[in-house]
Amino acid sequence: MNWMALSDPQAWMIASAEAIASVVIVTGLLQVTFYFVLLLYAGAALGTRPPVPRSATLWRRYSEQAPAISVLAPAFNEELSIVESTRSLLALQYPDFEVIVINDGSKDGTLARMIAEFGLEKVDRFIDSGVNHAPISGFYASPRLPRLLVVDKENGGKADALNAGINCARTALFCAIDADSILESDALLRVVRPFIDEPHLTIAAGGTIRIANGCKVDAGRITDIRLPTNFLALVQIVEYLRAFLMARVGLGKMQALTVISGAFGLFRRRQVVEVGGYSHGTVGEDMELVIKLHKLMREAKRDYRIDFIAEPVCWTECPDSLAVLGRQRARWQRGALECFVKHKGMLFNPRYGRIGMIGFGHILLVDVLGPVLEILGYVLVPLLWALGLLALPWLLAFLAVTFTLGIFLSMATLVLEEIQLRRFPKARELAVLAGIAVVENFGYRQLSNVWRLQGWWQFVRKQQSWGTMVRKGFSAA
Amino acid sequence: MTTLTNLWFVSLALCLVAALGLMLLIAARSLSARHGHREEAARRALLPRMLDGDPAGLAPLAGLDLRVATDLTVELAEMTRGSEREALLARAAALGVPGLLEKRLSARSAQVRLSAAEAIAMFDQCHDAATRALDDRNPDVRLGAALALAHRGEAPDPLTVVRKLKVGDEEHSLLLVSLMQDLARTNSEAVAGLLFEKDLSFEAKAAAMDALADLGGEYAPLLAYMARSADGERELQPRIYRALGRTGHPAGAEAIVHGLHSNDWTVRASAAESAGKAGLSQAAARLGEMLADPHYWVRYRASEALLRLGPRGINTLREVSEGEDEGARDVAARMLAEGRAA
Repeated sequence: MNWMALSDPQAWMIASAEAIASVVIVTGLLQVTFYFVLLLYAGAALGTRPPVPRSATLWRRYSEQAPAISVLAPAFNEELSIVESTRSLLALQYPDFEVIVINDGSKDGTLARMIAEFGLEKVDRFIDSGVNHAPISGFYASPRLPRLLVVDKENGGKADALNAGINCARTALFCAIDADSILESDALLRVVRPFIDEPHLTIAAGGTIRIANGCKVDAGRITDIRLPTNFLALVQIVEYLRAFLMARVGLGKMQALTVISGAFGLFRRRQVVEVGGYSHGTVGEDMELVIKLHKLMREAKRDYRIDFIAEPVCWTECPDSLAVLGRQRARWQRGALECFVKHKGMLFNPRYGRIGMIGFGHILLVDVLGPVLEILGYVLVPLLWALGLLALPWLLAFLAVTFTLGIFLSMATLVLEEIQLRRFPKARELAVLAGIAVVENFGYRQLSNVWRLQGWWQFVRKQQSWGTMVRKGFSAA
Repeated sequence: MTTLTNLWFVSLALCLVAALGLMLLIAARSLSARHGHREEAARRALLPRMLDGDPAGLAPLAGLDLRVATDLTVELAEMTRGSEREALLARAAALGVPGLLEKRLSARSAQVRLSAAEAIAMFDQCHDAATRALDDRNPDVRLGAALALAHRGEAPDPLTVVRKLKVGDEEHSLLLVSLMQDLARTNSEAVAGLLFEKDLSFEAKAAAMDALADLGGEYAPLLAYMARSADGERELQPRIYRALGRTGHPAGAEAIVHGLHSNDWTVRASAAESAGKAGLSQAAARLGEMLADPHYWVRYRASEALLRLGPRGINTLREVSEGEDEGARDVAARMLAEGRAA
């Protein structure tokens, strides 16, 4: 190393800039390579997935052997939508299930509406104490609706409410959902498949989350799939397709899935109780549960599977204002960082096999380093150009590659969606989404990284709040 | 070529591929929309012919009409039963549906082959084709064909089916229980014989036991023997106990009581469950003791069983609810309230 050169401030600055630029470029290349590998795996997974029968066929095949499921729906201040959501859950097509609605200390009339609408009475229930949660104030049920149990408890957050639901569940499997999301009527029949195909190995399975903004909803069911008119909602459709159809399907195929969305996941209760249920004091409780399950099974050297199925769909309303979306993205970033730091010992640790290598490698590249390096790249490359260290053709080439890679990955995900799932009814909608996949690279992508950096900042400052998610509710048909 | 040129080349190539892919997609979607209209028209024309009328008056179809008729047959067969389904299949046969289904058994898509294998098994004249699907390369297609054949009572013997499905190696599905139930309806002795096959997997034997339990008490002594001799087999023994409980036969009593004293909590819980299902009132005292078990599932299954036992079990619950053990007292009191027997 030329120490003389380093004593010169300008040379030092140039050397530092070059070093940082090298890190950004190498990490960027690694990220891109990883995305392409994920895309290939996702393509292979969707192309070779087991046959996907129609709902009627699924019912005929599974109705006798499908294991019982407890659907856990935590609700906090859901007075306006809880009755419709519960009716929609009770109407799910599945042979043997119970719906446990957990009123997490709502300040509004959530419980009163449930009691009045479903004619519930206070009952007693002998429950497990396997996982920790805030005290339960009462149980409500009705002989007319034997599938429904309402649990009223002190407020403790979503993870706490789900833990209460786990203790109340009397089935081997439970499905964690958001009370304000809409499960497709055959979603349980589809997501249970790995538990039927590999009953001794499967401990968890996740399904796809899709954006319901713009869709028509009638009696708690999506009746007409349409695109929203709001730009932010459109961009999130493309983002969700990338996240679920590329990343999660690919990671699932690799058996390295580290997150099953809190809005829709099916779990084997016994293993979840073994890991202590959902963790308190984190905003990434869904991700952490999956990581804890991996850790448990790997450390005990037990064979297991955690799968992702693309077909079962849960529809959710996404934020359509910058402020709410920014808060959500910062929270997601914080949740990922909390999980990563809490279980950092698993990173590249051969004891955890592909979870340590691929799963945690993915979190490191995409969630931990991703936003920092991308923002650094946006700052550094023009800076290097301004300092005369980078020629204009190189600057343009760098930007071109960055944007075209992003566009290519989004388009490839749209291709996967169209070939394998075909959920958008019209060709025009595909064209709109393709346009969005291009446009999002100029402005939205950078803004999203700024929100994620805010999440980083909140994580460093150990900020714990969830922020407020303002929902407008689904439009009626 | 310099690195810079390469970067530009990669960018342009990616743009081109993405744009081309998308244009192809949109074009394909527009074409399929047009095709969809023709298909819809064919469906509307064929539906009344498939639902009503004399099969003798129907001529074999070809092309799009035959494809639509085949799809309709698969859909309608799932919604119909008995003579209605027989009539539907007769009309479908007259339209030439079995021929296309047989061709579809060689399709590249496993989904198409599975659907064809399930459907072709419904036609009397296609037994051989359906049986050939048991040798398909895809395990789901093999299982689908086996289920369809067994449902009609036309499957090969259980051992052959188990070997063709490669149960334990490639096939672990819970649907094996449905398969065994159908096989046991026509040949229960052969299904029972699977339990004595030394090289057979745990999954095949467990499914056979579940199926035999559904036949009633006839196989209870065999299941009781197997339950006692499965000590230490953590996956298998609880499943045998649950099967034994479903038989409801007194021959299982001794084995169930044995299970109530197991060191393994999963066995204790399943034995308690079967004690309740079999109405084993002589186990009431032991079930009462189990309300103080350290495991929730044992306590829950024991209390549930006591409720199922009727007056004797409820008396035990009442006694425990007034006893000294605080935990057991709470379980008993809550279950009495839950069962509205307090």
